[in-house]
Amino acid sequence: MMASSRKTPVTVIGGFLGAGKTTYLNHLLRNTTQRYAVLVNDFGAVNIDAALIAKHDGETMTLTNGCVCCSIGSGFLDTLGRILDSGSAFDHIIIEASGVGDPWRIAEIALVEPSLLLNAVIVLADASRIGALLDDVRVGDTVRGQFDRCNLILLNKVDLLDRPTLDAARASLNALRPGIPVIETTEHTLPGLPEGRFKPATRFAATAAADHEGSFRRWSYRRDGMFDHGRLEAALAALPPQLLRLKGPCSVAGRDSSQLLQMVGQDWALTPTDDELSMGNNILLVGIGTSGLPPAETLDAILDAALIPQSITTADRNCRTIASPL
Amino acid sequence: MSQDTVVFSARKIVTMNPSRPSATHVAVREGRIVAVGSFDEIVGTTGAKVDDRFRDKVLLPGFVEGHSHIMEGMMWSLPYVGAFDRRSPEGKVVKGLPDIDAIVARLQEAEKAMTDPEAPLFAWGFDPLHIGSVSLTRQDLDRVSTTRPIMVVHASFHISNVNTLVLQRAELDRTTNISGVVMGKDGEPSGEVQGIAARFRVFRVLGSNPLSGNLTIDDVNRYASSCCVQGVTTVTDLHNDLAEQTIEVYRAASRRDDFSVRLVPAMASVSHSPEQGVEKIKALRATNNDKLHYGIVKLVVDGSIQGFTARLRWPGYHNGAQNGLWYIAPEELPGIVAAYHAAGIQMHIHTNGDEATEVALEAVEAAQIATPMPDHRHTLQHCQMADAAQFKRMKTLGICVNLFANHVYYWGDSHYDLTMGPERANRLDATGTALRVGVPFAIHSDAPVTPLSPLFTAWCAVNRVTSSGRVLGKETEALTVQQALNAITIDAAYTLKLDHMVGSIETGKYADFVVLDADPLEVAPETIKDINIWGTVVGGTVREAPRA
Repeated sequence: MMASSRKTPVTVIGGFLGAGKTTYLNHLLRNTTQRYAVLVNDFGAVNIDAALIAKHDGETMTLTNGCVCCSIGSGFLDTLGRILDSGSAFDHIIIEASGVGDPWRIAEIALVEPSLLLNAVIVLADASRIGALLDDVRVGDTVRGQFDRCNLILLNKVDLLDRPTLDAARASLNALRPGIPVIETTEHTLPGLPEGRFKPATRFAATAAADHEGSFRRWSYRRDGMFDHGRLEAALAALPPQLLRLKGPCSVAGRDSSQLLQMVGQDWALTPTDDELSMGNNILLVGIGTSGLPPAETLDAILDAALIPQSITTADRNCRTIASPL
Repeated sequence: MSQDTVVFSARKIVTMNPSRPSATHVAVREGRIVAVGSFDEIVGTTGAKVDDRFRDKVLLPGFVEGHSHIMEGMMWSLPYVGAFDRRSPEGKVVKGLPDIDAIVARLQEAEKAMTDPEAPLFAWGFDPLHIGSVSLTRQDLDRVSTTRPIMVVHASFHISNVNTLVLQRAELDRTTNISGVVMGKDGEPSGEVQGIAARFRVFRVLGSNPLSGNLTIDDVNRYASSCCVQGVTTVTDLHNDLAEQTIEVYRAASRRDDFSVRLVPAMASVSHSPEQGVEKIKALRATNNDKLHYGIVKLVVDGSIQGFTARLRWPGYHNGAQNGLWYIAPEELPGIVAAYHAAGIQMHIHTNGDEATEVALEAVEAAQIATPMPDHRHTLQHCQMADAAQFKRMKTLGICVNLFANHVYYWGDSHYDLTMGPERANRLDATGTALRVGVPFAIHSDAPVTPLSPLFTAWCAVNRVTSSGRVLGKETEALTVQQALNAITIDAAYTLKLDHMVGSIETGKYADFVVLDADPLEVAPETIKDINIWGTVVGGTVREAPRA
């Protein structure tokens, strides 16, 4: 089993006021087959059908599907700490950053907390406003900063706009973060999480699922061997932006224990992991990217450059790129 | 006069009541002032008994601290390692520490006194700016202990330093490239951590966050004791979620006869939706007693100037740093302001930078147009960079301001050199402008950010001198001693809508006094911060300040 199996994935949802963050969270909560813990920044903003609510206890709402949704005001860290301490096995923790907050600051928690694994930083943009917001004299810097480290943009409310306006919005986002994937969405075609599993039960599921499957691809990289720390740093920096995330156990020269590599966008962390690898020195990384992800051979070559030469064996070159069913 | 009336005589009573500026006798009954005047007026015709223990003292109305935090009471359970002398709740002058060795020595002393070998050692007040910008490294803290977790919180409260043990336990080693884990010259983490991710991790391995733990009665009593030491008889706790536990502690503390301060908590707007907040404040207001006054809400619009998180108008920071952070979005603020305003709840709005001030003015203006509310007294807190045009808008809108006079001393040099440049730094915390324009104003400490000490705050507003000795805008913005005393008594009470009960010594008000060894109006203005505070009288109950 992979070393990451006992870590809870975390997805941070960002975006300025009115971008559709809460609508997205509602959508995720209603449609998941997994058990989510959702931390919401707005009071009473999550509007779940009463029939789905099993228990409403102050600022915490328990849904019939096992998901939990907490409103966090100023006590965000305490709330997250309580969720981790509770020992409840959540499949995924989803955190909504505030409308003026920097989602990356929250995402960093998942990079340093050993029981967490950063899955994605998704920033929503209201297609009708994003162009003006990016240039706004008061909030432009705040809005631009929210995209700085995200690895997926949902350009939302596209059904309200004509093509030229949408293209202009895409162009401004592309100028800000060249190459970062942008998925056009409406209130009714929001995707699931890049790792989540969705039940095909809602009336909008067909559209959402179609959009979703076409959006992501998987790449796995497997070697017997060991990375050189310095060269790994350079190799990770050389990976293309279409790679949304990369994770898995690996061996790093000079480290006694196996390391868990987590990378989201250009940001990565190595943390020791107690998990036994199946055989000695071993590297097993799995990446998720957009449909524009370069071929596996290209990606393999980048990481191969980080291996310590004598440690390379080619016996286990079974890496391949597969379309992800997600 | 009734049998249970007590008449205090004093060398002088400075009343802060312009209709009767000074007196020698004050009669007190049932905790309130019955009469103020001369011996002849108060005693001569009635034969009331006189308590003359203050015959050599000077009485002023008890000071009103319009912007401070209960955290001041929480911090003093931990060792202080700041650069400046600071007085503890026990009245002890805790010496400022000039260098790293002195800090390490104080921490070693605190460490030796701890009995549980596993318990983390927390300390507070580290202030690199004022000890030559040196850093406190994990190696320094390892000299204190390699087996006990150690965390030192900076004076800013946003940055901390930890020892190697904490870094190891938190696994914040060099394989992490997150921001907020500062690297030392050796390429290894220096022990300095900031930002929510690093803080979250550190507090999880330490098992607790001393700054967000449950409030205890001891914390409240320490706060009250500090108030007595500093002559404060009405004090705010100007940003509190007001969780049930806190409400219960405040209720219990304030109902004790020997509780020696009137407490004014402000609910943090961020902890509730405006609708919930309005309901909560109304419900809490119904539980008020004479020493506990709910009813106000605190909004925080931006960050701090010295932390470069305040929002500044063009041309921004003097050193070119990028503009700061919105804690409430400009387009979100009007809705929140409108909700509290329409409910008649007084708002205290934190705006450090002038862009944040502008946004707040726009929001209050819109609320006033939608729902005209006489005498709302919404108060801008800090409001350090406002210019004359903004003060004139405050005046027009009926807004009060509480200016952060202590900043002139502690960060005036930084503002001059880095954040604002000479022109704007000279009108930092523009008390003179407020006076000229006619905006009601107070001055404050924001304790524990700077020390709780209204006489020191008044000294800052009168002398406008920085810690390096530079004088900032004294000709145009300084207050006279009389004006500064207004700003720490009756006018501070006005910003809390409590000026009908406290803030001056006149008939009908609470018998709340500060007892001084000298008259601030007689001593040299450069020395008003050094006047000895004997103690306080709260609701007629005399309390001598502890001296350790």
